[in-house]
Amino acid sequence: MATLPHDDVYQLVREAIDMSSLARHVRAPEDGAIVTFDGFVRNQSHNRATLYLDYEAYESMALAKMREIGDQLHEKYRIHRVAMVHRLGRLEIGETSVFIAVSAPHRAAAFDACRFAIDTLKRTVPIWKKEYFADGAVWADGEMPPAPAATPRAKPAS
Amino acid sequence: MPLAPSRTAGYNSPVPRVSQTIRVKVLFFGRLKELTGHGEDSVESANATTIEQLFALYAARHPELAKYRSSVVASRNQEFAAWDTPLRAGDEVAFLPPVSGG
Repeated sequence: MATLPHDDVYQLVREAIDMSSLARHVRAPEDGAIVTFDGFVRNQSHNRATLYLDYEAYESMALAKMREIGDQLHEKYRIHRVAMVHRLGRLEIGETSVFIAVSAPHRAAAFDACRFAIDTLKRTVPIWKKEYFADGAVWADGEMPPAPAATPRAKPAS
Repeated sequence: MPLAPSRTAGYNSPVPRVSQTIRVKVLFFGRLKELTGHGEDSVESANATTIEQLFALYAARHPELAKYRSSVVASRNQEFAAWDTPLRAGDEVAFLPPVSGG
């Protein structure tokens, strides 16, 4: 497992996410709390029964954005380690698509950081899911990541 | 090892030409990939073509793309980029529909 300066883990995987080993990885004697987020495939979407989901990513950018989120977590919160893993490909109902674990000396920072991490991931990391139903498939409604505005130009005369 | 002086120094110095063309890599994801029929392309364009002009080039080929313009975010070399960003040789541009990970 590749590790970073903080011993954090950021990964995109195509097999089941090993949540317990990630939780163990972030846990250290100097910590007092771990908060984890387990996001998994729901059996329905807008009252239609989901069969399965298929995830794809702009992998190099997604990993870079996940690491950026980690950097923000370390800047904003008094935490110790982060593990953030997203699964790609076909996922069945109930399978974990994203898992985040944050360790910290005290619980408040771990709760806050974990919440910030999943909220930011959903808004800024280039990953997409397609939802398959009995009668067809649709790309899930997503969120537009905040992108830089156009370079300011001189105001047109009006 | 010390760096050897460039053998091409002298005649490979950057002399801007009027109609210099550059090659850029273009990526499409999600429904945009389905619309264009490919996830990855490589195009030659005029130097300093903007991301907006690049998108327009593909929208001319695939008219349905234009419908999605207002919900697309662009990136240049793995960073979100403004639509008026000028392109340089070797850039990797991606057109990203609203993201739905998690």
